[in-house]
Amino acid sequence: MNFDQDQLRKAIVSLAIEKTLLGIGKPVYEKTIKQLSKEYGIYLPECYDHPEYLNKVLKKIFGNAHITIIEAIKKELDEHLTEKPIETFLIAIGE
Amino acid sequence: MQNNLEKLQEQKSLFACLLITGMAIVCATFFGKEVVKIVTDFTYIPVAGSLVVLCIVISLRFKKTGNHGKAWLLFLATAISWFIAETTWTIYELVYHLNPFPSEADIFYIVGYPFLFLFSIHYLKPFTKLISRKMIISASLIAVSVLIPNLYMTFDNNSNENKLTIALGATYPVADAIILVPALIGIFLFFRGEVSFLWTLLLVGILFEVIGDTGFQYFTLDNSYYTGHPVDILFIWSYVMFSFGVYDHIKIFKKDENVKQNKLLDN
Repeated sequence: MNFDQDQLRKAIVSLAIEKTLLGIGKPVYEKTIKQLSKEYGIYLPECYDHPEYLNKVLKKIFGNAHITIIEAIKKELDEHLTEKPIETFLIAIGE
Repeated sequence: MQNNLEKLQEQKSLFACLLITGMAIVCATFFGKEVVKIVTDFTYIPVAGSLVVLCIVISLRFKKTGNHGKAWLLFLATAISWFIAETTWTIYELVYHLNPFPSEADIFYIVGYPFLFLFSIHYLKPFTKLISRKMIISASLIAVSVLIPNLYMTFDNNSNENKLTIALGATYPVADAIILVPALIGIFLFFRGEVSFLWTLLLVGILFEVIGDTGFQYFTLDNSYYTGHPVDILFIWSYVMFSFGVYDHIKIFKKDENVKQNKLLDN
């Protein structure tokens, strides 16, 4: 049961990241995936367990402005904020 | 490490381009005004044309997706508009042997500015939350300060030029100052990011335009401007700056072969 819940949260987080990045542009989404894979050997759903990697990749591409992308991801996940693991993810990604 | 090397290589190419275009005009000056006019006019066409080609490439890459997709289409509109302007200027001067200022070319030069401004707005749109009022005011103050020499020249001149020509000449630095505001904001927002190179080159390119347009206005009022005048080097350099900025963006967001292969496997 817990395993399923975790998979579901991973999917929700992945979708939120994907939607936010596609809102900027498809190549931005593709570049982020590429960097995650190249530098940290992870795919998008694994950002749920390693939010700091996504933070670093976005910072490398957009510099100071990466904060707004993270804010947008947080906004996408607003309705799931009551779930503790998602809250933990959001705190970690913002650090 | 490889990225740093690539960046260094790119910067070397940028400086080489600036040196070649600048030297071409300076050297042509020694052969007289007719030669420098032809050399300058024929330098503008490929330089402005390269920017169009690079903008087409990046627009095709983004394919209207997201805010940046729309932004690049607007940048393409600027590049096309300025390319038409440069071509019109050259035709006026080399084919009809007429003074191209003021002429239809100015319509295309001016039309390019709103598109460039809208490009910046669309590009910065996803990051608006980070743009404070203080930031806008500071950028606007810098933009207004670069306008002062031009405004002084416009209102305090004894030129025989007609009012339309003077007003048109003054329009350019005003338009430059307007597009300078989002460029300055972009520099701050993307500081230390990969995309900051584009914004740095855009800012430097716009500053070249500001100085070039102010110089153009000054020497036009002074009746000493001719095509191939040293201020033209600044206009050509601004195209070079914009082109290298777009080229850098193409490289940052180039299609990944692995993504392509994964898509093929998915199908």
